[in-house]
Amino acid sequence: MNPLIRRAAPGRFLWLVLHELRVALRARARGRGTVLAAIVLVAYFGLGLLAAVALRRVELAPGAALLTAALAATIVITSFMTTQAMLASQRTLFDGGDLDLLLSAPIAPRTVVLAKLTAIAASVVLTFAALIMPMVLPAALLGHPELLGVPALLVAMALVSACLGLAITLGVVRLAGPRAARTVGQIVAALLAGAIFLVSQVIAQHPSARRSGGLTLYEWFSAHHVGAGGIGALPGRAALGDPLAILALLGGALALFALAGYALDRGFLRSYQSGGVRLSRRAGRASSRAIARHFRAGLFATMFAKEWRLLARDPALAFQIVLRLIYLAPLVLVALGRDNGPPVAPTLAFISVVAAGQVVGSLAWIVISAEDAPDLLTAAPVTRNQAERAKLASALAMAAPIALVVPAAIAPLSPAGALVTLAFTLFGGAMAGLIELRWQKPMKRSAFLRRRSGSLLTGLLTFLVTGLAGLAAGAIVWLLT
Amino acid sequence: MSEPALAIRGLAKSFDRKVVDDLDLDIAAGELYALLGPNGAGKTTTLRMVTGLTRPDAGSIHIFGIDALAEPRAAKALTAWLPDEPMLYDKLSPAEYLAFVAGLWRIPPGEAAPEAERLLKWLELWDERDQRCEGFSRGMKQKVALAGALIHRPRLLVLDEPLTGLDATMARAVKDALRAAVDAGATVVITTHILEVAERMADRIGIIAGGRLLAEGSLAQLRARAGSDDMTLEDAFIRLTSPPSATA
Repeated sequence: MNPLIRRAAPGRFLWLVLHELRVALRARARGRGTVLAAIVLVAYFGLGLLAAVALRRVELAPGAALLTAALAATIVITSFMTTQAMLASQRTLFDGGDLDLLLSAPIAPRTVVLAKLTAIAASVVLTFAALIMPMVLPAALLGHPELLGVPALLVAMALVSACLGLAITLGVVRLAGPRAARTVGQIVAALLAGAIFLVSQVIAQHPSARRSGGLTLYEWFSAHHVGAGGIGALPGRAALGDPLAILALLGGALALFALAGYALDRGFLRSYQSGGVRLSRRAGRASSRAIARHFRAGLFATMFAKEWRLLARDPALAFQIVLRLIYLAPLVLVALGRDNGPPVAPTLAFISVVAAGQVVGSLAWIVISAEDAPDLLTAAPVTRNQAERAKLASALAMAAPIALVVPAAIAPLSPAGALVTLAFTLFGGAMAGLIELRWQKPMKRSAFLRRRSGSLLTGLLTFLVTGLAGLAAGAIVWLLT
Repeated sequence: MSEPALAIRGLAKSFDRKVVDDLDLDIAAGELYALLGPNGAGKTTTLRMVTGLTRPDAGSIHIFGIDALAEPRAAKALTAWLPDEPMLYDKLSPAEYLAFVAGLWRIPPGEAAPEAERLLKWLELWDERDQRCEGFSRGMKQKVALAGALIHRPRLLVLDEPLTGLDATMARAVKDALRAAVDAGATVVITTHILEVAERMADRIGIIAGGRLLAEGSLAQLRARAGSDDMTLEDAFIRLTSPPSATA
């Protein structure tokens, strides 16, 4: 990257974009995570190869069904891309330590905004290319060269998503004010990401149509003749290599991109400049109550009070944890809403254990791995074990009310089943906490918002252990009922 | 002779190179000791080993006679650590932060609360006691961290560049707090790049370079060691830390 930067004219748009890419590349995690990701990518590419061989003799004609399906897929993927672009925009506005430098340099602010926007689009493209291209590229190389239109479509979608993401973020700043913008923005982004998933799961509960939201969207488009022709068919035609469609979509996206850079640069600057007050609460009067109310006897009480305050004062973080429960809501609907579906009590038992694992795992990660002042704890006269036990107990105590909800719902159906569910829920929660404790990796709290969990390994292990415990709980409750 | 507040023998630590190399140091109780040295001299690593944040490769550390490596909890109970970057929680208020630190050091609430009130008033943080630290200036954060370091009444206070980035008023407040702690019987070990602070405040000064103690003593003793009775500490420091060819 450095030779390219040296060739570009300093301070110009391309130079800034290359700089952004260099910084983004260097910020990527290295080590085991990279190796694991590479292995998954290779395996995924292998799957794509198998699919390509199977599809080799299948004709991919731009028929109505394929074009409509492409439109539905484009909408779903663009919504996810927009979420990612929103989060990236927030990081740029609120975390970007280099904006002070860039905006104090003799460079047009519009150039800075466009470079940042390009970097956001590039990060979105790279993420989704990693997900989509291993499946598309082998097919394109083995008999379907028309699919080489897919990367162009991805770029167009990413450009549009970057504009939407930044526009929504700036809109949130304007509506919610600079101080609340970050929290509200993260909640909006999480809702946007979850909306299609939730809608798809809820729609799939309809007795006559158990299908995904994407498929439902496709059927709705088919029924209303959307996507088979005209503008709606452009994504499908572009994906299948139609040069005119590619030109139209890429040209439109680039025009929108330039327009966004032109239209949003003032809003971006205003939002960034008002960011100086984003973190400070309004200066309120000091409480007249005695200071003694803050002081607790005992390590656990002290630790619990601190962890509870930190979580309660970070609504975006708390919301991410709640969102994990929202994602499980459709499973509850499965259990409660279908006469011919799975039995209610065992399904609820399974959900209870998995949900407890998710919540405790998240809380344990936040209180154990995402400690803001680890040196303070190390310098304190408490052993690491004592501090970690107190932190784990805090996480379990915070999750306890949630763990009681589902067993309470099972109790009228089967009191014994409720007890079994409670026992397995506690076990699942404790295991999730212990996994986090054993494989903890110090990280910043803000990383939770980006990655949703501390590490892939602990996330997978927690899901596996709590899933197995949940199945065992479900089986026992099924036998009891 | 009373037990030294801090006794270091043969302390060594290497990362990719030797950072602290066979360091011996004795600091008497009730003393304000300034540890000076060029960048990369090993000052911070030494202090982090004293406070149990970094494990030495070799050597021993005794804090008021307690072996800090064998009995870290007992040693930590007597010690406070204040790094240049305050160890704070942005979402906690100063009062809540002090309550948390007091809880870590297991100070009974009945003792800790009045002490917190005294410290907050003394450091002029009382009116901000219920505001979250996230909106504070660097100086205010440093004062909150200092209050946290003092709330458990440490016998040994270890500070790494506590005046970095503070304005004159804040720096004066921190210096006053340190002097008051010493007057109250505490021992203070401080690193600083501001030689004037060491010159005015320290009872004794140690100069470290390449992980080794080059010289220590009062200002007069260091001047004598550097070869002139009327030079400033800055002159003496440069002369003592420069390679022989540079001063020849």
